[in-house]
Amino acid sequence: MWETVAQAVINGLLIGGIYALVSIGVTLIFGVVKIVNFAQGEFVMIGMYISFFLANQFGIDPLLSLFVSMPVLFGAGVLIQHFLIRRVLGPNDMPQIFLTFALSLLLLNLALMLFTANYRTVHTSYSDEALHVGGLYIPVAKLIAFVVAMALSGALWVFLHTTDLGKAMRAAAQNRDVAMLMGINPNRVFCVALGIALALAGAAGSLLMPFYSAYPFVGQVFVLMAFVAVVLGTLGNVIGALIASLMMGVAESLGIQYVGADSGLIVVFAMLLLTLAFKPTGLGGGRAR
Amino acid sequence: MKKARKASVASTPAVSPVSTKRQGRREFLIKTGGMLAAGAFAAVPRRGWAADPINIGALYPTTGSMAQIGVGCVAAAKLAAEMVNDAGGIKSLGGAKLNLIISDVQSDTTVTRTETDRLITGNKLSAIHGCYASALTLIASEVAERAKVPLITGSSSDQLNKGRTYTFTPFARASQFAQAQLQMAKLISDKPRVAVIFENTAFGTSTSNGLKELAPGEGVEIVMFEPYSAGFTDASPLINKVKSSGANALFSVSYLNDLILIVRTIKQFGLNIAINGGSGGFVIPDFYKNVGKLAEGLQGVAHWNHDMDANSEKVNAEYRKRTGEFLFEYAGGLVAQTFMLADALERAASADPQKVREALSRLDVSSGFAAMAPGGKVKFGPDGKNIYGHPVGVQWQNGDLASVFPKEDARKPLMKT
Repeated sequence: MWETVAQAVINGLLIGGIYALVSIGVTLIFGVVKIVNFAQGEFVMIGMYISFFLANQFGIDPLLSLFVSMPVLFGAGVLIQHFLIRRVLGPNDMPQIFLTFALSLLLLNLALMLFTANYRTVHTSYSDEALHVGGLYIPVAKLIAFVVAMALSGALWVFLHTTDLGKAMRAAAQNRDVAMLMGINPNRVFCVALGIALALAGAAGSLLMPFYSAYPFVGQVFVLMAFVAVVLGTLGNVIGALIASLMMGVAESLGIQYVGADSGLIVVFAMLLLTLAFKPTGLGGGRAR
Repeated sequence: MKKARKASVASTPAVSPVSTKRQGRREFLIKTGGMLAAGAFAAVPRRGWAADPINIGALYPTTGSMAQIGVGCVAAAKLAAEMVNDAGGIKSLGGAKLNLIISDVQSDTTVTRTETDRLITGNKLSAIHGCYASALTLIASEVAERAKVPLITGSSSDQLNKGRTYTFTPFARASQFAQAQLQMAKLISDKPRVAVIFENTAFGTSTSNGLKELAPGEGVEIVMFEPYSAGFTDASPLINKVKSSGANALFSVSYLNDLILIVRTIKQFGLNIAINGGSGGFVIPDFYKNVGKLAEGLQGVAHWNHDMDANSEKVNAEYRKRTGEFLFEYAGGLVAQTFMLADALERAASADPQKVREALSRLDVSSGFAAMAPGGKVKFGPDGKNIYGHPVGVQWQNGDLASVFPKEDARKPLMKT
């Protein structure tokens, strides 16, 4: 009995780590730039295809391709901020919403055109391996993904709290106008925020590749969970998004085990609604951290 | 008379042989008696047809979500038409060639309706084959019925045999697939305890309900019956549940991506369970490409397999040479269907769709490329169903699909996993 529960919790935590990478990116962009990035899932998809092609063409392990997918997507983030998002930042929200939404549709359909709807998988030596600990199974590929995801989240936390740029980012998140008065260059801060957020999405893609298939719609699967986690963990709160993602992974897994395999999401959304009913700003308590 | 027709065929490719041909026939008529003359007159319109190719409509989804399989189908359809034409075309029509008119139905029911309509009204079609997915074939069949053009298909929906007179299904029906799957479970264990997991879509629900209904009659116990949300991120919770159900066999009614996750997760959990993935996406080369060695020993069901007989192997070899992959279920069946159409055209001695339908309904083959079907015989009942039709149980062995069930169709022994 306890083994089944423990296994369900482990499964949930491991997939929650991936949700976390996607949702931290969304929450960081929202916190700093104050826009909702609907295209975040598509950047996960791009990260997956980068890893797939590096593995397929050059035999590079998907984990090593992190060092390609993250910088590439960081660069893409900077460019998107500088040439697209910067132009629509203003008092009106609508152009921002449609900009990222259009970006999402564009990338999705480009991927369909270039890569077709086929599923692509990479098979690594550790893809099918699992650690057996006291009757529990921990898949190696997912464990690696979880550990790296947590390490990247930790590194982001350290960056935000110890470096000048990180502090400037948090300042911009707390009050953009005051931050600008203090001499912070908003576009520079926004560029870095977009870059980091997309790099995290790329990392999620590369980490997923050893155990999940890449296809043009793959981002949509993860972005829904990411949005729920962002709201649950308070918009703009990085630590909140991280904790909420892990909670959601576990809730989904327990839901599948005890409610039904087609009702895992019921538990997740019930949790979201209950939280919002009692804590309308989310678990993180309304402050960007 | 035969000689005369042959001579006329040989002369058709020449630029203007008409006058000399006429002369030839006049001479011939004078020389022969009245009876033969009547026969020769009948040959006049036939010779006219010889120049006209016979239009066969081919409706397949070559774009959209089913594109990959649709493209394979088109490659097989072309290969089959070439084979018929290279062997001399339809001899009773003066060696008329099959002219394949291919149309992309875009994996979409609305497009299927308009394309079928367009194809029939825009061309003089003798017959149609298509469309891989039952949902699309049902629509095309409706349109073809109304236009009175025969349609031959490998699609498995039992619905295709209800209230239709122009639709012919030479291969196993969906209901037979479920039964075969249950019988295969008994190869694994005398007391099969089966877990059925299925995606919560129309396809998943109807297929799994079929399994559930037939299970008691086949002596198979279903210990778990669980729908799941298609396109999940993680199969572990589901497999955790399969594990606690104590099943010794797993039927997964899933599309490719989910099935890949399920198979990998089962391996990670170290779960020793016989998996039957059914048909469709499970019996195509792409499945093995994605799952790799883990696919070894996995079972499924198919309405056609390339190791059935020498003819199937021959077509498979040619298809492999062209595409680099083995001839998969639906595409292979489609080659056989083309030869069934050729056989019907030959006997009808006419490209008229109504006459082709008549000839198809009297089809009775047990040799040659047209008989490439499990059991090796094709004869249609009044509902357009092949009375000998049944599925074949297959297993992934060394990167290839081997027929393992039933005994009379087995080409390799079942590999125990």
